Amino acid sequence: MTASPDMPMIHVVDDEAPFRRSLLFLLESVGWQAAGHESAEAFLAAAPAFPAAGGCIVLDIRMPRLSGLELQRRLLAAGSMFPVIFMTGHGDVELAVQAMKDGALDFLQKPFKDQLFLDAVERAVQVSVERHAAQRRQDEALEVLTRLSAREREVARLLALGLANKEVARLLGISDNTVHVHRQHVMDKTGTGSAADLARLILRADPEGLD
Amino acid sequence: MRFPFRALVALIMLGFFTLAAWGAAVAPPVRIGVLAWQGLEEAEIRWSSLMNQLEERLAGRRIELRHFDLAGMAAALRAGELDFVVTNPGHYVFLEAENGVSRIATLVADASTDPAHVVGSAVVVLDERRDITALADLKGRTLAAVSADAFGGYQVMWAELRRLGLDPERGQPRPVLTGFPMSKVVEAVLNGDADAGVLRACLLERLEQEGALRPGQLRVLSPRAGMSPCRVSSRLYPGWAFAAAQPTSPALSRDVLVALLSLSPDAAGQSWSVPADYHPVHELLQELQIGPYAFLRETAWPSLWERYWPWVCGLVVMLLAWGAYTLHVEHLVQRRTRELTQAMEARQRLEAQVHEGQQQMDHLSRLSILGELSGTLAHELNQPLAAIGNYARSLLRRQDSGRLEPTALRQAAEEIASESERAAGVLGGIRAFARKRDRVREAHDPAALVREASRLFAGMLQGVPGVMFRQGDEVAGLQVWVDPLQVQQVLLNLFKNAWDAQQAVGCDLPIEVSLSRDGERCSVAVRDYGPGLPPELQARLFEAFFTTKPEGLGLGLSICKTIIEAHGGGIAAAAADPGPGLAIRFTLPLVDGAASVSRESS
Repeated sequence: MTASPDMPMIHVVDDEAPFRRSLLFLLESVGWQAAGHESAEAFLAAAPAFPAAGGCIVLDIRMPRLSGLELQRRLLAAGSMFPVIFMTGHGDVELAVQAMKDGALDFLQKPFKDQLFLDAVERAVQVSVERHAAQRRQDEALEVLTRLSAREREVARLLALGLANKEVARLLGISDNTVHVHRQHVMDKTGTGSAADLARLILRADPEGLD
Repeated sequence: MRFPFRALVALIMLGFFTLAAWGAAVAPPVRIGVLAWQGLEEAEIRWSSLMNQLEERLAGRRIELRHFDLAGMAAALRAGELDFVVTNPGHYVFLEAENGVSRIATLVADASTDPAHVVGSAVVVLDERRDITALADLKGRTLAAVSADAFGGYQVMWAELRRLGLDPERGQPRPVLTGFPMSKVVEAVLNGDADAGVLRACLLERLEQEGALRPGQLRVLSPRAGMSPCRVSSRLYPGWAFAAAQPTSPALSRDVLVALLSLSPDAAGQSWSVPADYHPVHELLQELQIGPYAFLRETAWPSLWERYWPWVCGLVVMLLAWGAYTLHVEHLVQRRTRELTQAMEARQRLEAQVHEGQQQMDHLSRLSILGELSGTLAHELNQPLAAIGNYARSLLRRQDSGRLEPTALRQAAEEIASESERAAGVLGGIRAFARKRDRVREAHDPAALVREASRLFAGMLQGVPGVMFRQGDEVAGLQVWVDPLQVQQVLLNLFKNAWDAQQAVGCDLPIEVSLSRDGERCSVAVRDYGPGLPPELQARLFEAFFTTKPEGLGLGLSICKTIIEAHGGGIAAAAADPGPGLAIRFTLPLVDGAASVSRESS
């Protein structure tokens, strides 16, 4: 199956080859695009070439050398948006709890029903898709905001916080008229019609942008 | 004058007679016993004239003559009732030995006769018996004689026959005892009651002289020329003896001897002469084992008993003691043997129990290893089962959605098959490992055993650091004589311990195994990079129930020790060099000549 850049990709990382292959076979049965990796290191090596379409990682929690948990930590550190589903063996509950604290999306205790697995993958892909959409919106908001000058951005932030023109003028030590001109430019450049719209845009670009 | 002379004569006569009467009354009679071998009457007739003559010559000593048979005379002598005895040569020799009588004169046929050669015998047959010409012809015939006790009438001839190899006692010839007088013997021969007869020397001549026999009617067998005036078939022996009893005074003996020698020959021409040497008689009696030598033929138990009873008793007591001792020893030996047998049986039972116990212990230890590894074993089984399940579900999904392609079906089926085989393999391994089994010794390549154990170890546990195997050149091609499963068990135990030790310090270096040769053994060392163990605990490591792990039973290494020692090897722990860590080294016997042979034969 040729990889389609538009489709989400399901990555299965498990050192147990037959089991790994059986999961890929199962995923392909319901139409997912899937790739297998025999170790955490192999996954990391292949990661730069992954298409941007999203997907999820199904990760065996116990593997020689680099373990599943460690891989998750590295992915988080690298800002990966891949949701992670852990597969755990019997007696690995503590590890699973740790994984969830570290931001894993789900965990499945082996042996698991195929439907449970597919449902978890489904959810993870949705999460991934949502994450990708959110990312896209943020990127767009950032792009819009970069069109503003530094003073315009200052004015935009204060306006988004709901301040009136006079208050903005006083805070910035400029005249009311000047504020009015900046406001007009901001509205034009961002295409927003109100202070509320402006606030949403700023928050989309940076959730903490109004603090 | 006449009166005084007559009176004097009368007085003298009176005194003489009185003295004589007094003297006769005072001097005791001389008691003489004679052997009445032909009957009392005959003896009276024969000896009365002798006694009369003796009485005359003994100055008035009265002579008391008594007649005895053989036994009676001996009894009278013992009772001290006799001063002298007159008896035949054989009986004299007997009395001399038994009662201590001593001869003072020997009876001879006439004065010219040598007293040592007087008594002899003639064996006569009817002249017409041409079939009997010599004594040797008497074998198988009958021989008449007066009495077995008669000296000249039987015993002399008996001795002669014995010298010829004949023995009347065994019926060769068979004796026919006629009794006295000796004329009965002549009658027996004449009327054919006996083939031959024994006569005293000179009786035949006397009978012919008297006309009782016709000369030549009877013939003497094997006549001997010699000293006798008569025909005899035997040697000659001394004649009858006149002997003094032991208490008899020498003076009386001398008086009697003088009287005897001075006697003139009697009517039969017999007279007394100086005593002869009776030694030939002794020899004869000894040869015949009669008279004083009768004891020779009496192997007679009573006499032997009388003589030897203390010895016999002692011997019997010793025999009894020896028998009792032998019985006692035998009993002890049997008891000891029984005890030994029982002890050996008990020991064999015990050994069997120990052997059984050890097998059970091995088995338990294998089970305990399985228990420790059960989590990962479940994982081992779950993996293939899960894969199989995934493939099956996938196929269903694909078919349901109408997207089942033949290549996918083939791929899934192949995977299912191989995974099911893998699961079966895992189960088979567990079964083989957990099975109870008998003691096994086989030749194996130690390197192969280590590799197999490493593979098992890696398969049983996930995330293990791996085993690094080093092998010296001198080990190449060597074979050890072992139970492969037990050695694997030991190795797995050591690997597991090494891994646990390394996990405790978060070390994931590979566990190191090395093989080397140690004399006639192969040495296997397993080394970890764990925290190690202080020397005082290294020694205790192999004790049962000693453990450094919170949840450990402390049996693993003690069982390893049992297994290795059952193989004739040893096991010890030491600090790893260079540290940190612990090295456990054990030895296994190399295959020797005998083992190689049995291996080849099997």
